[in-house]
Amino acid sequence: MRRRTFLMSVAGAAGCGGRRFRLNVLNWSVYIPPEVLRQFERETGIQLRYNVYESNEEMLARVMSGNSGWDVVFPTHYYIQPMREMRLLARLDTTRLKNLGNLDASFRRPAWDPNLEWCVPYMWGATGILYNGRLAPAPKTWSDLWQDRYQGRLTMLDDPVEVFGAALKTLGRSWNGQNESDLRAAKEQALRQKPLLRAYLNAEVRDQVVSGDVAAAQLWATTAQQAIDAAPHLQFAYPAEGFGLYADNTAILRESRRPGLAMRFIDFLLRADVSASIVRGCRTATANGAARALLGSEIQALPTLYPAPGTLERGEWMATPTVKLQRLRDRLWTELKSA
Amino acid sequence: MRSAQIEPSTRRPDSRWLATYAVLVYLFLHLPLAILMIFSVNASRFTVWEGFSLRWYAEAFRDQELMESTLNSLIVAVSATAFATLAGTLCAYALWKRASRWMTAGLALSLVTPEIVTGISLLAFFQWIFRYFDFRLGLHTVVLAHVMFSVVFVVTVVLARLRTMDSSLEEAAMDLGATDWQAFRRVTLPLLAPGIGAAALLAFTISFDDYVITSMVAGVDSQTLPMALYAMARRGANPVVNAISTLIVALIGTLILVSERLREK
Amino acid sequence: MRQFESQRLKLRRRFGGDGLRALFLTPSAVLLIALLGVPMAIVFAYTFLTRGTYGGVTSAWTLENWQRLADPLYAGILFKSFAVAAVSTLFCLALGFPLALFISRAGRRKGLYLHLVILPFWTSFLVRTYAWMFLLRDTGLINTVLLKLGLISQPLPLLYNYGAVLLGLVYTYLPFMVLPVYATLERMDRSLLEAAADLGARPLQVLWRVVLPLSRPGLRAGAILVFIPCLGAFLIPDLLGGGKTILVGTLVQNQFTTARDWPFGSALSMALMGVVLLLMLPLARKDGPGGGDLL
Repeated sequence: MRRRTFLMSVAGAAGCGGRRFRLNVLNWSVYIPPEVLRQFERETGIQLRYNVYESNEEMLARVMSGNSGWDVVFPTHYYIQPMREMRLLARLDTTRLKNLGNLDASFRRPAWDPNLEWCVPYMWGATGILYNGRLAPAPKTWSDLWQDRYQGRLTMLDDPVEVFGAALKTLGRSWNGQNESDLRAAKEQALRQKPLLRAYLNAEVRDQVVSGDVAAAQLWATTAQQAIDAAPHLQFAYPAEGFGLYADNTAILRESRRPGLAMRFIDFLLRADVSASIVRGCRTATANGAARALLGSEIQALPTLYPAPGTLERGEWMATPTVKLQRLRDRLWTELKSA
Repeated sequence: MRSAQIEPSTRRPDSRWLATYAVLVYLFLHLPLAILMIFSVNASRFTVWEGFSLRWYAEAFRDQELMESTLNSLIVAVSATAFATLAGTLCAYALWKRASRWMTAGLALSLVTPEIVTGISLLAFFQWIFRYFDFRLGLHTVVLAHVMFSVVFVVTVVLARLRTMDSSLEEAAMDLGATDWQAFRRVTLPLLAPGIGAAALLAFTISFDDYVITSMVAGVDSQTLPMALYAMARRGANPVVNAISTLIVALIGTLILVSERLREK
Repeated sequence: MRQFESQRLKLRRRFGGDGLRALFLTPSAVLLIALLGVPMAIVFAYTFLTRGTYGGVTSAWTLENWQRLADPLYAGILFKSFAVAAVSTLFCLALGFPLALFISRAGRRKGLYLHLVILPFWTSFLVRTYAWMFLLRDTGLINTVLLKLGLISQPLPLLYNYGAVLLGLVYTYLPFMVLPVYATLERMDRSLLEAAADLGARPLQVLWRVVLPLSRPGLRAGAILVFIPCLGAFLIPDLLGGGKTILVGTLVQNQFTTARDWPFGSALSMALMGVVLLLMLPLARKDGPGGGDLL
């Protein structure tokens, strides 16, 4: 702490000008390329402190105290309501966002925040299947991942939401388990698949698919795109039965003492050119319609991130179940893992 | 009373087996490190060799936050090691003289607690305190946490060494007129030095490498290297991670060689 | 005269020694009370509360969390974790002791060898684990080499099983064994070894009957320092075990993250800690100097 003050005062004395504005941003990893951050700092003179996290729970743990020091966070859509209930979010005055119109039409009135009072959609994604393109026939549905031919070369995500979601889809039910019997059926189904699996892996599986250890993996579209960038023979499928959709949103924490600066940051991210740079740099699917227009043909070349219009209809927005169902889900997950 | 230092190892018949064994174990320990180093100079981002390149090192140095995280880690590790070694050595000495059930229980508790629970408990504790004082999480909270979980390691190592020592040495010193403080400082402490060194080394390593607890009690400005690396590595192989790891190992390795040379003189 | 002297010594040892001793214990005591005792009390309180809808705790007192522990599912997980930790510790003992012996006999290069043991550990443990994954994969280095040499025709399943987890744990916690054992061996009185040799003992006998018993404090210390972290480990079993099985470390971790059930997680941890402490009780006898076995 003292070192920081010392260094800051030296920097200040070295003629960096009057007051330095600061903004603390907490985001998912690989969601804003460093060049874009530097661009913001250059254009506005605001210095950014940027840290990353790997899961909503991690982010929540860090900001839950209401005294964490962070200003801007990026919760996934099904966390907006909980964070509102925990009084962690600041109300947004969207009239101050000049670039709000750049948002894609489908994200202007999202189900989780119709009036955009609490958050602004940022990037979205889906869970699907990344597979080796040389496989014949190619897996196109979740049910395909239950077949013997993938014995030992198949992975699923290490997340109960994703695994049970896919299992529910093979049973023809909603991705989000609605009741007890849904969840139990999902667990039984997942149990049937377990002997075929090599492992339950998250983003780590990317390298293994690239190198050929794994033939097919349940994976998020953004991570899959990164793999495809490295190994063009890989392909991604949006399963026919349906899949889970999520959207990450920009939000300002209630505790933030710099809401004005935070709004400028959000406005910056909403710029078409900025959003386009982010897509190019991080390979993500943006909710920014103007950016998509700007990227034009580059979008066509990213079917993994921007599938054909009809495809997304099959998706379901992920939702948090009731406490009782959550508890059952976690218990079933433990049972599945211990089996 | 120290008997002659070790006889030259060549005279002992079993020493050759031992040496061979040691070489194998060192290979085992360093194999992943070698892999890291090789891939830190791999031009490709993935684990397919595509030619020699130093671009990841350049990228690592350009990354301000990474550099700052490393500095934070070093600051925290040095501070935490200093305090933990001090407190731990004194504690071990006291326990050696006469066991204390409470102290032992407390130390055992700190060892037995899973890291996530330590992290959560400290977070809850700090937040509770911060309601009454205008403080935030920062490097100071990280150092406090590190000192707390390192102490038991220091105590264990130092105590193990103390137990091999003859307590009558101190008594002899006191018979000759020394106070217990002098007996401690002039007799026990010098004999204890290698044990303290080993304990400090252990404490430093634990502190430098800690992720779970640190991530829970770090503040906005106190990101440490494991936190930065964790974020980068979790998303798949990232050669910048390999580059910075190689750099650190090279740096520490050089420091060790230098200090060994100095000590031999 | 002698009696008077010894009485003085007794008095000094009682009061003078105690004063110094109390002083020496203070820093650690303050540290533990403030940063362990109080936080643990908070966690203990958590075990009686109810989970908040989205994490954290709400102040609704209940015994439910403790009642849930009675489930045989958790007992099975605990048992598996103990087995894994015990085997890892045995391996560390077997591998670490000879290495510590080697280092303690190395003369001038002792410090260097000791540091070489620690050196790999200044890389992030996550990075090291990923390196092992690269080595053990089907298309990893080991399998590739073995295939090229024609020693095998199919890749060996080296990853995502208990073997890989053990490897990872032993690899990570070996220094925790080597350092305390080294600290004990280094101090060993060589004349005892010479005496044994003089009496006709062969080197192996000297090792088995003199060196090993003398290094017991270090071995015990090392065993504890390895066993307990292995028990609570979650990242290594998760990554190297492929998440196909769940050990108690992962279970607890899950409660504080994906399951967002802090009270139950707290209860689980308390139970785990309780079991381990109970096991350690026989080891922590309240003896005089040099008598206590561990701490």
